[in-house]
Amino acid sequence: MTGRVEYLEDVIEKGLKVGLALSTGLLLVGLVLNATGPLRWGILLLMLTPVARVAVVTVGLAIERDWIFATVSFAVLAILVAGIWVAVHR
Amino acid sequence: MPAHHVLIYLFTGAAAGLVGAMLGIGGGVFLVPLLTLALGVPIRAAVAASLISVIATATASSTVNLDRGLVNMRLAMALEVATSIGGLGGGLAASLLSTQQLFLIFGGTLAAMGALMLMRSGRRNVIADTSVDPGRLGGRLQEGDTTYVYRVRRLNLALGASLVAGAVSGLLGLGGGIIKVPVLNTFCGVPIRVAAATSAFMIGVTAAASVFVYFARGDVVLPISAAVALGALPGSLLGARLGQRVEARALKIFLAAVLLLVGGRMALEAL
Repeated sequence: MTGRVEYLEDVIEKGLKVGLALSTGLLLVGLVLNATGPLRWGILLLMLTPVARVAVVTVGLAIERDWIFATVSFAVLAILVAGIWVAVHR
Repeated sequence: MPAHHVLIYLFTGAAAGLVGAMLGIGGGVFLVPLLTLALGVPIRAAVAASLISVIATATASSTVNLDRGLVNMRLAMALEVATSIGGLGGGLAASLLSTQQLFLIFGGTLAAMGALMLMRSGRRNVIADTSVDPGRLGGRLQEGDTTYVYRVRRLNLALGASLVAGAVSGLLGLGGGIIKVPVLNTFCGVPIRVAAATSAFMIGVTAAASVFVYFARGDVVLPISAAVALGALPGSLLGARLGQRVEARALKIFLAAVLLLVGGRMALEAL
């Protein structure tokens, strides 16, 4: 059980690092070149990183068959997606 | 934007990230007043930049904290439900309270928490007997060669505090950690380092609950947000590492001082 949670933590840690590296690169390019495109994508990518993290946790816990916490995590994901939906449709 | 402005925003982000990651509070409490009062950024743009910077701090410090096993993921997820609902609901409460009332209640609560933390800074939440069962939400903590056990108490209080923290976060552009960390540590039995790391893990999600609305409304000023977030990244990585070296008691006193200072200032502003 503990080993699996540690594995999930490892996956999340790597995912967060990839998200950070990509958005840092885009933000740096955008600031140095004074270009809006890379800035916008870098910021959007950074904003989406926590959402992706919750999605990974939800799937990971479902694979572990930890249904209580998978449901909890899915509820958080649903709230975040609702936030994005409200933002897009207002 | 002129180059020296970029440097100022980078430095501001780095300072907020450093303290924010160290104490698990994200740094929005410093960023919003700094950006609006000292740098003249409009309030909505400052709140948006702060939310993005909180996400950067949460993400960067979590890569360090997860690696050291300091994040209590189950506790984080349970509290995230309350905190994200609060985040979305924050907008509704905004129309019920005036800014002045909000500042007074929020500032007063923070200052009271600070005083309480200061009084209890000598107490420890950990149990050295590793045969004790940490329960479903508790956990273990490695400090040097010693392994400690902690149990989570008063989960309902932690959930309530997270709901309030989420609402305040959506309103003021904070991560909400400034409420969660002291409550988890003072009332719920969570060791300060675990409270800070778990809070830092959560605040990115709290900020993400409201940040898209700001983005869609056009409140995100790209160069300002980018520079602040870029500064926050190295600041947070350093802050998360520092937070593990500093003694637990010193961390609590530092957090108490921040609470008293920020809370007192906010309450005074409302009076």
